[in-house]
Amino acid sequence: MRATRTTAAIAVLALLAAACGGSTPTTQPASGDTAQASTPASEPASEAASTAASPDAGASGEASPPANTPIPIGGSTAAPGQTEIRWYCCLGGGDAPEQVDVEKRVVEKFNQSHDKIHVTFEAVPYAGANDALATEIASGNGPDIVGPVGIGGANAFHGQWLDLAPLIQQNSYDLSGFPPDAVQTYKLDEGQVGIPFAIYPSVLFYDKALFDEAGLNPPPHAYGDKYTMPDGSKVDWTYDTVKQIAKILTVDKNGKDASQDGFDASNIVQWGFEPQRDDLRGMGAYFGGGSLVGADGKTAQIPDPWKAAWSYWYDSMWKDHISMTGPVYSSPDINPQDYPFFTGKVAMSENFLWSTYGLGDLKEDWDMGIVPSYKGKVTAAFNADTFRILKDTKHPNEAFEVLTYLLGDAAPDLLGAYGGMPARTAQQQAFFDSQDQTFTQKPDWNVAVQGIQYADQPNFESYMPAYNETLGLVGSGGKYTTKWQTEQGLDMNAEFESLRSEIQAIWDKQ
Amino acid sequence: MTAISRPARARQAADRPRRRRLSPLARREAFWGYLFISPWIIGFLVFVLGPMIASLLFTFTNINLAQETPLAFVGLKNWQTLLGDGQAWAALGVTFRFALLQLPVIIALPFILALALNSKYLKGQGLFRVLFFLPYVIPFVSGVLIWQGMLNLETGWVNMALRWLGVENPPNWLNDSAVIYPALVMIGVWGIGAGIIVNLAGLRGIPTELYDAAKIDGAGFWGALRHITLPMMSPVIFYTLVLAIVDVLQYFLVPLVINNGTGEPSGSTFFFNLYLYKNFFTYQNMAYGATLAWLLFLVTLVVSLLVFRSSRRWVYYAGER
Amino acid sequence: MASGVGRLEAVAAGGELAGVTRSRRSLRPRRPRDAVKSFALTFAIVAVLAAFLSPMVRSALVSLKTPDQLSETNAPLLPSLPRQLEYQGKSVDIYVVPMPDGSSRQLALVKPGRTQSTFVDPADPALAPIVWQGAWRTLDRAWQLAPAWQNYVDVWNLIDFPRLLFNTVALALISMVGTLVSCTLVAYGFARFRFPGRSLLFTILIATIFLPGAVTIIPTYTMFAKLGWVGTWLPLLVPTFFANAFDVFLIRQYFLTIPREMDEAAAIDGAGPFRTLVSVILPQAWPAIIAVAIFHLVYAWNDFFNPLIYLSTRPELQPLAVGLQRFNGIHYRNPAYVQAGTLMTMLIPVVLFLVFQRVFTRGVVITGVDK
Repeated sequence: MRATRTTAAIAVLALLAAACGGSTPTTQPASGDTAQASTPASEPASEAASTAASPDAGASGEASPPANTPIPIGGSTAAPGQTEIRWYCCLGGGDAPEQVDVEKRVVEKFNQSHDKIHVTFEAVPYAGANDALATEIASGNGPDIVGPVGIGGANAFHGQWLDLAPLIQQNSYDLSGFPPDAVQTYKLDEGQVGIPFAIYPSVLFYDKALFDEAGLNPPPHAYGDKYTMPDGSKVDWTYDTVKQIAKILTVDKNGKDASQDGFDASNIVQWGFEPQRDDLRGMGAYFGGGSLVGADGKTAQIPDPWKAAWSYWYDSMWKDHISMTGPVYSSPDINPQDYPFFTGKVAMSENFLWSTYGLGDLKEDWDMGIVPSYKGKVTAAFNADTFRILKDTKHPNEAFEVLTYLLGDAAPDLLGAYGGMPARTAQQQAFFDSQDQTFTQKPDWNVAVQGIQYADQPNFESYMPAYNETLGLVGSGGKYTTKWQTEQGLDMNAEFESLRSEIQAIWDKQ
Repeated sequence: MTAISRPARARQAADRPRRRRLSPLARREAFWGYLFISPWIIGFLVFVLGPMIASLLFTFTNINLAQETPLAFVGLKNWQTLLGDGQAWAALGVTFRFALLQLPVIIALPFILALALNSKYLKGQGLFRVLFFLPYVIPFVSGVLIWQGMLNLETGWVNMALRWLGVENPPNWLNDSAVIYPALVMIGVWGIGAGIIVNLAGLRGIPTELYDAAKIDGAGFWGALRHITLPMMSPVIFYTLVLAIVDVLQYFLVPLVINNGTGEPSGSTFFFNLYLYKNFFTYQNMAYGATLAWLLFLVTLVVSLLVFRSSRRWVYYAGER
Repeated sequence: MASGVGRLEAVAAGGELAGVTRSRRSLRPRRPRDAVKSFALTFAIVAVLAAFLSPMVRSALVSLKTPDQLSETNAPLLPSLPRQLEYQGKSVDIYVVPMPDGSSRQLALVKPGRTQSTFVDPADPALAPIVWQGAWRTLDRAWQLAPAWQNYVDVWNLIDFPRLLFNTVALALISMVGTLVSCTLVAYGFARFRFPGRSLLFTILIATIFLPGAVTIIPTYTMFAKLGWVGTWLPLLVPTFFANAFDVFLIRQYFLTIPREMDEAAAIDGAGPFRTLVSVILPQAWPAIIAVAIFHLVYAWNDFFNPLIYLSTRPELQPLAVGLQRFNGIHYRNPAYVQAGTLMTMLIPVVLFLVFQRVFTRGVVITGVDK
């Protein structure tokens, strides 16, 4: 009896001991480093926490090529004496496996050429990117650099960004290569939070094959040019014109188009027009720049051009049938990649230049035309990505060095992978030339360059109170964004008022 | 708090007179009891208790990610806000309404299927068990993607089947508040493999002699079900019930992915835990998110205590004392 | 597999509900009524199963399509591509075109138009083009079966599948051992021993699952970051050795259904509590233990957020659940890769279940106890 009891007690204790050193067996399969495997787990780990450089881990991480890096116990991969800079990726784009490969190569190159700084790349899939970053920041274990991140993506973490102005001055970083407007874009209430990197002006993508099939002239390629209608008349390139020809380009399964009698709206196989429907603010901005925030900074308003844009879109879906309705849009059998233009079943699509990432599937059939005008004025909504530094970073100088590397030496590789047009004017032609190797039909990049001067002012992604909560109404997949796509027969004016009052209610809580 | 196993205690008290001091025998038993549960106690103290207390403390502070005003204790302010927060109470209502549909299905269906899969009349039991188990293994997000395809108004297989059966205007499952709950239950039922396993394990534990005896007494299928299977399975059903309640009160992931967490259509998927999650991670207001979480904790605790209290009427433990 | 089940079943006595053994059934003549019941039940289960598994069929079909094929309207169910012809440097689709004489021919559409279109004969494209009057969209395309097996190869390579699979297996198995051992011991403690504060402690145990996980993530992460465990497997493994409420609860419930007579008999024979657990309780509790093993395995296999936050800086340590999400980005999305990866990921848990499912087979015969 006593023997059994002792045995049992020892067994339980052994179990607990095993649990405490639970990592030990895990290090063995991949690591040949026995010294490391036998080290008690918590010791080097806490060292790693305090100095961000665990001797064990560092030695093993540096000594061998990345392909067979042993599994270290400590969390850091930096060698002793090195400063670890963590680059957190993928709040927006940049998380596709091919892009991650390029990013890893960029990091490797940096680490090979720098002794003092070790960059650790943190590629978090989009599905968990926001939550993971919030967790890390709230836990005081935030990364140093975040990006690529857009204006809106960064506003989701408003108040977390470092003002780069002192570092720019201290390092005499040259900003003269950028258009001054682009630098100004990142000068916000938080300070100069970014240096321009990639810019994405809007264009009107169109599918040449579908225009040919319908016997229509392609959209104009230069701002100010008129469009030649099928009857030979020349008209202004307005949203009304777009709607008119989009109807001809919207076809049912019997081959009838939306301008003809007997068109079967329940069996559409090709659509004429696809707006940028991620964010209601962006969609509104194509009809004119504006803001939901009134002059006093706390009154909700809806700019008139935005109302016009939203009504235009709503009618495009439910009345004119030139755009996919919500259920069609969300069908994985019709729109598997979440952007209908990629499928070759949409004739025209207004979007940012970053959409080129999926255009390879269209082969040589696509090109870019100018964004149409509303009430005689062109507004081409504008997007931009860059890398930012978190204000809690413990190593701002080193982080800035890595940042300038990403924006400088690494920029051509990264911009190529992201499909991002360089903000530096001098690098743009080289970028277009490299894109032409993918898109051999040589699309008219000049359309995109022209679009920059029609950028929306203020930018539609500018900060507003309770940014993330408000986005739940108007952002991608937001309440109203979804509702208008799925419900027919709404009174849009009533919708606008109810949206405005919901926004106001959120802001009033602040 | 102690209500949970009061029946055990009551029975204990009846067995023998209560003593203030434990006898040496009882002390030895207690020693073994503590020893066996010690892994959990250590783990609880080391890994669980700290974060729980921290999150409780959050509810009395203004902690948030941006922290534009300095971190400070704000007393009961968050709790006061909660009292006047119509959205939170509406979300709790949504959660309970959904529970009314979800709970019976998620408890009964695995039980019935487990009975069928355990029946001597079924050929190829092993194969069927594996097939019913399959979807349970599918990672959550992939599963939701599949169901978005299945339930699409235009091209989904469910509606294609309904059209084939002659339904002219099949429902818009994911965008119509009238049918969204059945749609969500359908998605939930897909992971039924776990429930089937628990029930099969329970059925497996019923001594077959009991059925032989019942047969001799002339009991048929229903008699055996009522007098043997259900009582003997009651501890397992009790377990599935408690877990299903906890699950449904914390339900939010499917609508978070399917409807982007907007609560659409018409607020019908604005579940309490969704609101909580959004406050915590999307609006980055950790203080209020934690307050919501502790409210949910209290609600769950009350509901569970009621269930535990009721259990002494219907749960039969062959090995309890 | 069925024969294996039969063999095991042979040791069990049959009940009305618990499956009767195959060998026993073969000993007696089968009654026609049983055959009807058997057919009806099997048929019903097959019907339920067909509906139940149709989403998986869909998943499998999606996994075999290219993005082009996914968006192809009116395509056949199986992954197919329209037959195509290389014509003047471009790929053109082949359609089934009705001819004026009532026959139909497979022709390649070289110049589509709204009212008339131009076709060529794919057999001899050099022949004079054929102009056809009508709307080409009403024509059926000539399909050919074209499953994109390449998707599986792509997934394997793009996310370094073998490496992530190794991580997943290691994480799942180690934490499964931890869970099984610790939860069994704790459940045994709660089910079989009386000690002061037992019901309070049990209530606390169950209550730990009442608090939604979201709110403890940040304090928990902070703790592990302070310990220096972020970037290692430790936060995912160590806590599993200290039991969890879900599994303790299940095992405890099961232990409580086991009559105490056998424990007491063992105790009289001089067995200590530990031996009683191993030699009396465990042999009867296998179904619950296996159930917990499966639940934990599946949980660990698919857990996304915990590995994500603890291993975000160490992609080479991540499990498959994290890797698969790379195909589901905001701008970059490939449903076929997601489904192909899912099916590949499922393989091992399903095989393990296949091996262990027989433990759920029949009712037990309790021996050694006079009832």
